[in-house]
Amino acid sequence: MNNDTHEGGAPGPGGKGQKKFFFSRRKYCVFCKDRIKFIDFKNYKTLESFVLETGKILPGRVTGTCNYHQKQLTKAIKRARHMAFLKYVEPKRD
Amino acid sequence: MKRKYEIGFIINPEVTEEVVKKIIDSVVEVIKKGDGTIENIDEWGRRKFAYPIGRFHEGIYVFIDTDAPGAMYAALERRLKLTENIIRFIVLRLDDKLKKANRLIKKWQRGEKLARKAQEAGKEETAPRRYSSAPEKEVGNDE
Repeated sequence: MNNDTHEGGAPGPGGKGQKKFFFSRRKYCVFCKDRIKFIDFKNYKTLESFVLETGKILPGRVTGTCNYHQKQLTKAIKRARHMAFLKYVEPKRD
Repeated sequence: MKRKYEIGFIINPEVTEEVVKKIIDSVVEVIKKGDGTIENIDEWGRRKFAYPIGRFHEGIYVFIDTDAPGAMYAALERRLKLTENIIRFIVLRLDDKLKKANRLIKKWQRGEKLARKAQEAGKEETAPRRYSSAPEKEVGNDE
């Protein structure tokens, strides 16, 4: 997946015709799309999709969230953790 | 100056409904004493925690939206801290976040205007104008 985005990200005019078909869908900010002004920590279900199973917050470059919303998102997740909607980060079991 | 606050707290699940009501009333009373008005009280009821807090695995969630001066906060925090059956609480000031959001809304509106203009321009003369720059590249690829 990631390799595909890398190749598809910069389709220069010099690229040969065949490679053009390896476009993957472009990432976009989900919150900007839905025109969300303020991310509420009570919507823990939406927050869950931006957190790994271990409880770690995913970086914006992975999810495609814009800077403005990523900042809000991290705060909202931390608030949700405090109110026990989400769990804190668990240590790896290996 | 009045500000918008959001107060949330978790009540001990072993407590009876009457006590829950009493706790909510006591918090409301503190807000009203501090010249605050209550806009909304949300009682979520019982919910399981994502992780155990002390010996509890679930709790009764209550959220209150208020319009109140900042001076009320000290008394409110004291009450929330000292009430035995409140396991955890959170108090958020919402104003400045909404102000920041206004900037974002303006940006969106600008974006929408541009998009609309682009659409109208696209409708009038449809395909030729949109892809005016494309043919050169396509020719290059064909070669």
